[in-house]
Amino acid sequence: MFDRIRAREEAGLNKPLTGNRAVRKLLSNRLAILGLFIFGTILLASTFAPLLTVHEPQKIDLRSMLQAPSTEHWFGTDRTGRDVFARVLYGGRISILVGLGSAVLGAIIGVAIGAYTAYRGGWVDAIALRASEIFMAFPQIILVLLLVSIAGQSLFNLIAIFTLTGWSGPYRMTRAQILSIREEEYVQALQSFGVSTTKICYKHMLPNALGPIVVNITLTTAMLILAEAGLSFLGLGVPLSIPTWGNILNVAQDLRILQNNWWMWLPVGAVISLFVLSVNFIGDGLRDSTDPTMQG
Amino acid sequence: MLTYMIRRLLNTIPMLLVISFLIYLGLELTPGDAVSHMVDPEIASQMSEEEFQALREALGLNKSFIQRYGIWLTNVVQGDFGRSLSGGVPIMEIVLDRLPATLELSVFALLFSTILGSALGLISALRRGSVTDNGLTVLGMLGVSIPEFFFGLVSILAFALWLDWLPVGGRLLPEYDNYWDHVPNIILPGIVLSLMMTAGVMRYSRAAMLDSLSREFIRTARAKGLPAWRINILHAFRVALTPVIVLIGFRLPILIGGSVIIEAVFQWPGVGSEFISAVRGSDYPLVMSIALLSVFAVLMASLIVDVLTALIDPRVRLS
Repeated sequence: MFDRIRAREEAGLNKPLTGNRAVRKLLSNRLAILGLFIFGTILLASTFAPLLTVHEPQKIDLRSMLQAPSTEHWFGTDRTGRDVFARVLYGGRISILVGLGSAVLGAIIGVAIGAYTAYRGGWVDAIALRASEIFMAFPQIILVLLLVSIAGQSLFNLIAIFTLTGWSGPYRMTRAQILSIREEEYVQALQSFGVSTTKICYKHMLPNALGPIVVNITLTTAMLILAEAGLSFLGLGVPLSIPTWGNILNVAQDLRILQNNWWMWLPVGAVISLFVLSVNFIGDGLRDSTDPTMQG
Repeated sequence: MLTYMIRRLLNTIPMLLVISFLIYLGLELTPGDAVSHMVDPEIASQMSEEEFQALREALGLNKSFIQRYGIWLTNVVQGDFGRSLSGGVPIMEIVLDRLPATLELSVFALLFSTILGSALGLISALRRGSVTDNGLTVLGMLGVSIPEFFFGLVSILAFALWLDWLPVGGRLLPEYDNYWDHVPNIILPGIVLSLMMTAGVMRYSRAAMLDSLSREFIRTARAKGLPAWRINILHAFRVALTPVIVLIGFRLPILIGGSVIIEAVFQWPGVGSEFISAVRGSDYPLVMSIALLSVFAVLMASLIVDVLTALIDPRVRLS
């Protein structure tokens, strides 16, 4: 067996291994590839929405109210004659911005705090840990709604609130990683050379802890897109004047629309589910490819 | 054991104090006069200006912030959360009135998701790598990817509007004369809420089962020549079940969060839907009180889980 492999290697038959090992491993995971494909398609379709539809998401057209899907309106029209397909495309921009943006912002804050305080240790670490415990004691939706009720509804507020409630997960993860790396010999070597604290923890230690953090960002993105959809569905997320996936679904609270006008809510729900599923596939693939304990 | 419990409790109390302080801070910063949520609005509206000022003094509202917090906290510990801004009903009365509905839904979802999730996890682990296993894994992913309210809407459309098997929503409807008449009402919200959590339980019990199958005592049982089902169920699954049951406590935050939205979708008259309408109506005292109570529930659940784990596994309490 090994002789044969060696023979193939010597004959130069094996493809030379290129690129990052984790990236190669991710690309060999079929579900992750499917996830990347769906994710990319929806992301590109939202970004280049004006190229894909001639309709405007906010344009009211009372002559074509409540039309079923047709070649003119792919997902039909809503109660004020707005094109649902255009609203889904444009809505994706905001929904993805809120989900991905808040997850990345939260992760940056959590990682920055986690790396520094875990490396320093002592009372700085203790305070940060207690602060994260306070945030984690709240069920997430309760905390988000509590803050929404205080701060009021706006797109900016929602991103800020999601960021504020989402930093504790990445923080915990970074802290655990840094604590385990802190005792390694290369860190001691850097310390004895007199390298500054910030440089050691952000430049030398953090890159070694990044794998699980990236996985965490994907899973948080999935969760926040679901949270935005849920809140906007209840009318408590992004203000209704801005189309988002959750806001489009808002009309389905009306039982008549639920029963008679399926095109107004079913395709959007399917798009949300597909998008979140693709993010979860990517996250799972990333976990398998970056976590050495998952190999074998 | 006792020292462990005391240590753990000493950890929880400061947390509760800090969070209650933050909640009170929020209460003070939000608009609305404190008198209005401490006194029956009917009485307050009939009072003269002097009486009103005397009342403020008597309630301690002219004292310093820390003293006011102390008064508020003393009341809260005794179960007096003040009054809701809309209607002036005591908050504790509202919560107690709605709690049974929420508990009913939560217990249903907990039981259902635990049974279904651990059974599916068992099957998945026993057929590791098979089509069933992979299919269940993908199904589990789908389960955590579909927004729960969307799943609720689809189920309302299918089972309530088209097939007309189950009611659209609500709980104790006026035409019901027996408590058990509302069982059909709980099926849809209960199952939708359960399926959301089943995926997590399944994943967890699959891992626990695989872990337990690889242990030495399983090899011993095989060597004794016991039938496969006996080994799988009575030996391996029983061991794998312990961490799954402990997991119930940790699912409480997800359960509370999920029930808020599910209750709103199915018009289930629980604490969650009350919370939503309080947020909509900017009824700050009610919002803050329910949030505080939910934190209390989460912290208590994690305390109980920790104590139970320590009871089962002595290594925990000694470390």
